Order: sequence, then structure tokens, then C-alpha cells
Amino acid sequence: MQLKISKSTYRSILKSLISVALALVVTSVLFILTGANPVLAYYYMFVGAFGNFSLTVETLVRMTPILLVSLGLAVSFKCKVWNIGAEGQLYMGAMVGTIAAVSLGNTPVTLLISIALCILAGMAWAGIPALMKTHLGINEVITTFLMNYVAIYFVQWLIAFPFRSPDTLFPESAQLPAAAILPIMVPSTRLHLGVLIAIFLAIPLVYLLMMRSTFGYKLKAVGENPEAARYGGINIKRTMLMALVISGALAGLAGFFEVSGIQFRMRGSLSPGYGYTGIVVALLGQSNPIGVAISSIFIAAIYNGAFEVSRVLNQPQGIVDFIQGVLIIFVLSSESIMRFLEKKGVIKL
Amino acid sequence: MIEMALVVGLLAITLRTASPLLLASLGETIAERGGILNLGIEGAMLIGAFSGFLGAYFTGSLVVGFITAIIGGILTVLLFGILVIKVNLDQVVSGLAINLLATGLSLYFFRIAFSQGNFPYLGQLIDPMPIPGLSGIPIIGDILFNQTIFVYIGLLSVPLIYWILFKTSFGLRLRSIGEDPFVASYLGINVERTRFISLIVEGIFVGMAGGLLTISMFNTFDTRIVAARGFVAVSIVILGRWNPWGALTGSLLFGFTQALSLWIGTFLVGPAAPSISQLLSLLPYVVTLLALVVGGRKVRGPASLGSPFAKE
Repeated sequence: MQLKISKSTYRSILKSLISVALALVVTSVLFILTGANPVLAYYYMFVGAFGNFSLTVETLVRMTPILLVSLGLAVSFKCKVWNIGAEGQLYMGAMVGTIAAVSLGNTPVTLLISIALCILAGMAWAGIPALMKTHLGINEVITTFLMNYVAIYFVQWLIAFPFRSPDTLFPESAQLPAAAILPIMVPSTRLHLGVLIAIFLAIPLVYLLMMRSTFGYKLKAVGENPEAARYGGINIKRTMLMALVISGALAGLAGFFEVSGIQFRMRGSLSPGYGYTGIVVALLGQSNPIGVAISSIFIAAIYNGAFEVSRVLNQPQGIVDFIQGVLIIFVLSSESIMRFLEKKGVIKL
Repeated sequence: MIEMALVVGLLAITLRTASPLLLASLGETIAERGGILNLGIEGAMLIGAFSGFLGAYFTGSLVVGFITAIIGGILTVLLFGILVIKVNLDQVVSGLAINLLATGLSLYFFRIAFSQGNFPYLGQLIDPMPIPGLSGIPIIGDILFNQTIFVYIGLLSVPLIYWILFKTSFGLRLRSIGEDPFVASYLGINVERTRFISLIVEGIFVGMAGGLLTISMFNTFDTRIVAARGFVAVSIVILGRWNPWGALTGSLLFGFTQALSLWIGTFLVGPAAPSISQLLSLLPYVVTLLALVVGGRKVRGPASLGSPFAKE
């Protein structure tokens, strides 16, 4: 039994590695077409992400929102609920957390209350499409995506009018009070407390929830065979609703951490699409918390490494989105590719 | 009389803002009737918008832009088709993959084609083409017959697609695949080929829907240009009960909401005006969500919609 589990884990890891390798090969073709040396490009990408201590810290900082969002999406995807609204949930969490922090001012509980409220906001924003799915049977892909637009336009309006900072030129919120700012853990870097919370609290908690709890078992049962799950007495609607709401909670938290750890103000440009990146990461990590954690570092490295690649080799920043797009296609096809390779005898397990 | 002119203007704008939704939802109706749920429509529209822009920009010809938009749409939907029909992947996740890929491709190649800080725009747009004789009719002429080619194509396609779906043997084959591909296959219908044909038709419509954004509406390209219109179109297909006439009604409803929010914005005065008119940009999305709550509950589409079909 033990052997069998490790074998399937090994196979999963291999699948993800094959997807990554193929995505990097396809991207190489793009580099060649645009006159850049792909080996050099990947070298600069690595250097840009891990070249020295401060760059490595920056990659961890970049990883934090991606990790939080994708851990949540892993929960949701495990039971085949396709939440593509993490971007909106992130913005709503960030906005509500910011409003709470600015209104409370400097009190000992400001940070805790803001964090609690940003989580609740993310949950509520995910809860609406969750209820629409479970009670009205409306496809969550459509509703969660549309709600991204509602959230982002609403936040842009809030920071342009009712919650606009009086002392700045651009539409943005007032600066967070000192009590709401996440402390820096390593002097003269941007490594804030949120990074540590994501790594040492969020990963273990989601791991326990998914791998060691009855809820995790229910998620898996609903995702793999809803009919059997129903027969086994699992409340499918409740499980799906919970899964979507949990993913919203983590996205909301990711949003507020970006404000209180990095930006210190709510801005319309808070996220460069972490909500969508989270989808790629959750799929690449095959909804396994450990797989998701490793995939988050990988994607964060591509994000930060791409700055170096664009600086040195004059390649457009769009390379980040391109790699993610290609990657997701190969992740999806990886089971078929794997079966093909096994049939041809290239891979023997 | 001034009020009348304003209302006519509002209805004419309704048709213009409805046209991308109408074209996209007609295309999606065809695909979904064959059992394929294409959520990659958002990405296909984006590629249509991008390829249409590139074609028009580099040749200076809007006709070329129109054609390249359609080609872009067809290629994107075909890639989706290969993933879900040939490789038999999950339709929902493949759709998401297409959307992410489309964003990445267009962003990357936009920056390859135009350097940073360069904001290219088209010198001309596909303008309304008044139909001789008909455009002179009071009121109706201004609303219906003084529109762009995209509006005419969309309106004429409604009865055409209805006829194809419900009065031709191709439509019958497609709908029977949509209900049960296994039975259809057993009866000798070529499921793969029929579905690919339906997807090519979808690609043509979605390519036009995307292309009109750049070559007829905004004259420039941005990766956010589609702004969920693809997903609104999928919602319209549900609300329109997978029927082209329903797609027309739904598109007009959403076109009207969008036109209305623009229209109200122009009348606002006073210090709160900019605030309210910015808030109105939410309206089309909120209305779509509310419409789904009211009209989208527990509707039954084609029975095999979204489920894989593999001959083992």
C-alpha cells in the first residue's frame, strides 16, 4: 500500500515536470522567433529571481499572494468547483481590510480586526456565486468571472470617490495607520509578516484540512464521484459551498496582505492578475497543498525573473502571461501525454 | 421632438453595443447545441480583436482587418476544439486555458509589434453604412438601417441560424449530438466532424464579435478590451434558452443596459456627476448576474452539454 501511494505521487510529480518542460520548450521557440537566445533568457530569469539574497527575498514576497490564492483554489478545484473569481475576492478583501484599518486608526486590535474583516469579505464575495451554484444551479465559472468585474469597478469607484485619499493626486485610499502595517521580519527587505504566515501557517493548515480531515475526504469524494459521494451520505451542496467560500477567504487575505505588507494604500493596480495566476498554480500543483506551494515559488520566480529578461534581452513583460497560458494547456494535456509515453515505453513505473 | 431624437439615439446605440454580444452569443448557441460548452469564447474574442487590429493596422485596410479577425477567431476556437474533441479534456478547464493563453499571446505579440510607450491606433473605423432607401424612413431608419456591417450581419444571422438549427438536416444532426452523442454516433452521425464544423462557425462569429471591438468600436487594442463580453454572451445563451431569437432578445437587453448607463452619464450634472457615471459602469455586469438569478435557475440545456465524448 505504501509503495502504491508513493508510485502515484511520483507519477503526479512527473506529470507536472513534463508540463513545465514542454511549456519552457514552447516558450524557447518564442524567444528564438524574437531573436533572443532561450538558454540566456532562462539564465537571466533564474538570476532575476534567485541571483542574490535580496532578489530571493523579493521572489518570496511575490510568491505570497500567489500562494495564498492558489491554496484556496486548490480546495475549490479539489471538488471540481471552478472558482475563477479569486481576483475579485482578492480586491474585495483588500478594500474591506483597508477601510477597516483606516477607520480604526492606531489601536492594538486594528491589524487583527482588519485581517478578520478581509477574510470575511473574501468569503462573502465568494459566497454569492456559491449560493447561486448550489441553490439555483448557475454555473460558477460565469458568475465568479462576472463578479470580478463588479468587484474591480466597485473598488475603483470607492478609491476614486468615497474613500479617496485627500492628499494624493491619483485615485487611491488613505495610507494605512502604522498599527495596520505588517511588520518587516528581515531588516532592509520587504519580507513582511504575511510571507511567514503564508508559508508557516497557511500551507500546514490547508494541508491538514485537505489531507487529514473529514472535510478533505468529502472534497475528494465530491470531486471524483459526486454520485457515489451522495450515496455515501455526503452533503454535496454544502461541501461545494464551503470549498468556494474557503477559497474566497484565502484570496481576501492575499489582497489585504498586499496592502498592509507592500503598498500601504489601496490602489486600482493592486494585483497584476494574481487571481488568474492562482488558477494556473492550483492546476500545476494538482490541487495538492505541497504541489501548490512548489508551483507558487516557480511562478513567482517567472514573474520576477521576467523583469530581468525584459531588461537585459529587451523581451516584453507579456512573457509571464504567455508561459502561464502555455503551461496550463500542457498541465491539462499531461495525463494524455503521460499515457502516450507509458504506452510507447518511454516511461516505466 | 428633442426627446424623440434622444430616444432614437439611445436605441441606435443599443444595437451598436449589443452587436458584439449578439454575434458571440449566436456563435456560442451553435457550439452549445452540439454539446460543446466553450468558455474560451472570451479568449477567442480577444484574439479576434487582436488579429483584426493587427491586420487593419499593418495593411491600412479595414477589410483585411475584418478577415484576419475571423481567421483569429476560427484558429482559437479550433485549438479549443482540438483540446476537447481530440484530446478529450475537460471543457470548462480547457476554456479557462484558452482565455489565459489568449491574454498571454496578445500581450506578448502586442509588445513585439509595438514598442513600450507606443499607443498605436487605427486612422479609420468601420463606420455605419446607411442602407439606401431604408435609412430615410423616420425613426426606424435611424435605429435599424444606419448601422455598421456587424449589426446587419448579426440581425440577419438570427433567422439564418434558426433555420440551420431547426430546419436543416445538419441542424438536426448537431442537436441530436448535443442531446446524446453516443446515440447519435450509433445512428451513424460523425460526431467529431459535425462538432468541428459547428466550432468553425462559432469561430467565425466570435472572431467578428472580437474584431468589431477594435476595428469598429474603439480603434485601439488593449488586453482588457473584451471586458467579460464573452462571459456575458455565454449568460445570454442560457437566458435565451439556446435559441437564436433568445440570443437576440438577451443581447438587446444587455446592449440597452450598457447604452442606458452611457446615456444617463451624459445627462448628469453637478458635483456628484463623475462619481455616479463611474459607478454606472458596474451596471451591465450586475444586470447580467441578476438576470441569471431570475432567468437562469435550473434551466435545461442540451443534455450532453459540457460532458466528454470518447469512443473507447
